[in-house]
Amino acid sequence: MPIDLAHELLTQSLAAWRVVGSIRSEGDGVIVICGSHKDIQIARAPDDLIFRWIVTVDGRKRGAISLVAVLRQVREALDPGYAASRVRVAVSPLVPSP
Amino acid sequence: MSVIPVAILTGFLGSGKTTILGYLLRQPEFSRTAVIINEFGEIGLDHELVEASEDSVIELTTGCLCCKVRTDLTQTLQGLLQRLDEDTSTPFDRIVIETSGLADPAPILHTLMTDSELAGRLVLGDVVTTIDAVTGAGTLEREEVSQKQVAIADRIVLTKLDLPGVAEPELRRRLAALNVGAPVLRAFRGRIDAPILFGTDFRDKQATSLEVHSWLAEEAQGHSHARHDADIKTYAVVRGEPIRAVTLTLFLETLAEHCGADLLRLKGIVNLVESPDRPAVIHGVQHVFHAPAWLERWPSNDRRSRIVFIARRIPQRWIEVLLDAIGAEVADVDARRASTTLVDCERR
Repeated sequence: MPIDLAHELLTQSLAAWRVVGSIRSEGDGVIVICGSHKDIQIARAPDDLIFRWIVTVDGRKRGAISLVAVLRQVREALDPGYAASRVRVAVSPLVPSP
Repeated sequence: MSVIPVAILTGFLGSGKTTILGYLLRQPEFSRTAVIINEFGEIGLDHELVEASEDSVIELTTGCLCCKVRTDLTQTLQGLLQRLDEDTSTPFDRIVIETSGLADPAPILHTLMTDSELAGRLVLGDVVTTIDAVTGAGTLEREEVSQKQVAIADRIVLTKLDLPGVAEPELRRRLAALNVGAPVLRAFRGRIDAPILFGTDFRDKQATSLEVHSWLAEEAQGHSHARHDADIKTYAVVRGEPIRAVTLTLFLETLAEHCGADLLRLKGIVNLVESPDRPAVIHGVQHVFHAPAWLERWPSNDRRSRIVFIARRIPQRWIEVLLDAIGAEVADVDARRASTTLVDCERR
């Protein structure tokens, strides 16, 4: 997926969460977010990992299996009042039964 | 065993809920209706099936609203069903819950949508909100809960239209800003056409299709003009390309996780890759979503996915980008998986 789309998603997410921060894209496809006294880097994970993204918060690296997981990690880092809902919303069945 | 629809009658204090309920219960088509009132003693209903929930306004405004109302409401509903099963009450095929005027109706909707004890026996019906035509505009201005009651309504009923001081056009504009899709009906001293008021059964595919038509009208207006009122906005996200089911699931999960109470209501018709001929109808309140209902066919030639949002301080652009980004990532994973499978096959 285009890195520009991930960049815009993160930009819009900060606005949606009402979190102050700056976002920029580095030349090597890394997205850097600065806010709430945190430095966050988001990069594509190498192909040999099960993760799709690597999120680095103040030097600590964690894998993220999807953009949804990236959003969760970024918000946890930037928004101290955020408590992620661990309730899974089961939208099942995914397709109608015959 | 048939599933029983549960309609919600809400509206701010003094907006005429009880008057309407009193009228409805005297109509023949409401003879098989059980009623739950959210406050004791609000009305002496001359009806054998009246059950009074022990929730009070004070209880509803302390602690966890969801938990408070859930426990009590669940027990009340279970009691009603038990009496029905044991044949110790007059049979009923519909339940109406009249909420307290100060209540946020969302926890009640959550209970009906999520309680495993009730699932399979009950289904959420229409949400009807009453608005005092004389004082309603001021109430909406002052009371956030009143805005919320209007925002999640399937039908809005104007009351007290016979009193002096009614400014109906202005009030209608305000209501449309909060909930452009809900039909606005008029009641005179509680008198209103009952079938119109509680006409939808969520199980009924035909009725669901009718609802979809209503949403599409909402989408047409909301999408074009991005109507808004203070922090609450109504808008629609429209996509021409079919959406993968897993994209929809991740999208809804992310909304639930990040928006919570700010997502007042979501309704939509979705063209899924996996089900091109039978669109999914989705329906959510805050962080709770119904499993999709499947229409037998598309209600019109327009096969675009259209999802209507009634949300507080959630930017439309974020919703759009979120859906697109998740969709792109899911497509990416699918493409990579297909490529890997192809390589594996070639190696063999």
